[in-house]
Amino acid sequence: MKLPIKSFLGDSLIILISLIFIVFAFKTFWHFETGSVVQVNFQGKTYGNFSLFQDKKISLIGKEGESMIEIKAGRARFAHAPCKNQYCVQQGWIHRTGQMLICIPNEVSIEILGKTKAYDSLNY
Amino acid sequence: MTRSIIKIKTTLLDHQIAKLSAIAIGLSLIESVLPSPMPGVKPGIANIITLYAMYRFNFKTALWVSILRVFATSLILGQFLSPTFMLSLTGSMLSLLTLYFAIKLPSQFFSPIGLSVLSSFAHIGGQLLLVRLWLIPHASIYYLIPIYSVAALLFGFINGWITYRLLKHHNSI
Repeated sequence: MKLPIKSFLGDSLIILISLIFIVFAFKTFWHFETGSVVQVNFQGKTYGNFSLFQDKKISLIGKEGESMIEIKAGRARFAHAPCKNQYCVQQGWIHRTGQMLICIPNEVSIEILGKTKAYDSLNY
Repeated sequence: MTRSIIKIKTTLLDHQIAKLSAIAIGLSLIESVLPSPMPGVKPGIANIITLYAMYRFNFKTALWVSILRVFATSLILGQFLSPTFMLSLTGSMLSLLTLYFAIKLPSQFFSPIGLSVLSSFAHIGGQLLLVRLWLIPHASIYYLIPIYSVAALLFGFINGWITYRLLKHHNSI
């Protein structure tokens, strides 16, 4: 049987639509927002919300000792922690919505907030 | 004592289904030992056989090959009725449903390459839906959509191209 001349027009169309979808998916789902507020949680309660654009140092005395949170130029970090591991300090600065630093021994956590709440596995 | 021999009458098509399923199961098993960068990102090379069966024979053959592969592979790997099996079954069924409609597209414009891309998108789409509804009912999995889409396009294209070459080699296209 003689087949008509094959063309990949339809395939090209499918691939083109897929590429457009991929670009769209990256733009929609990988859109990270820079936060404006840091929420400090201390011993199970919200200690306070602080603007990221006012440089500040917050000292919290917990069960283990002193945790020092530093806010500087739109970012936040643990400048000092009393525990042995220093995980929270080593994670460095955070500035994007939904990013979080947690110090379990001293019961301190900080989270960056923005206009919309970002998805993360901790919420679930 | 009389010996009874049970003989099942088989057609030529049954033998073809068995042969194709065996190849598909083999490919699935090879794929299961390949390292994957993240769960769910894998080439899906067994889909080559499903597509091939659909072009060379008919939709029913492809359906049989696909179902047999999913069940046999999960039994061999010890995943029968586990979440992995459910994901595999959902993906396969959704991609077959897509192919059922896509095969009706004019064949002078649409080759197995396009159909393969469509079916791999349907495959991952069904799996993500099942994960969202059942396994991880949380919106955070939407983060993974871009990665899975890229994988679907890439592997869908490669599988489609291999199927196209196979069919061309066997003068079935």
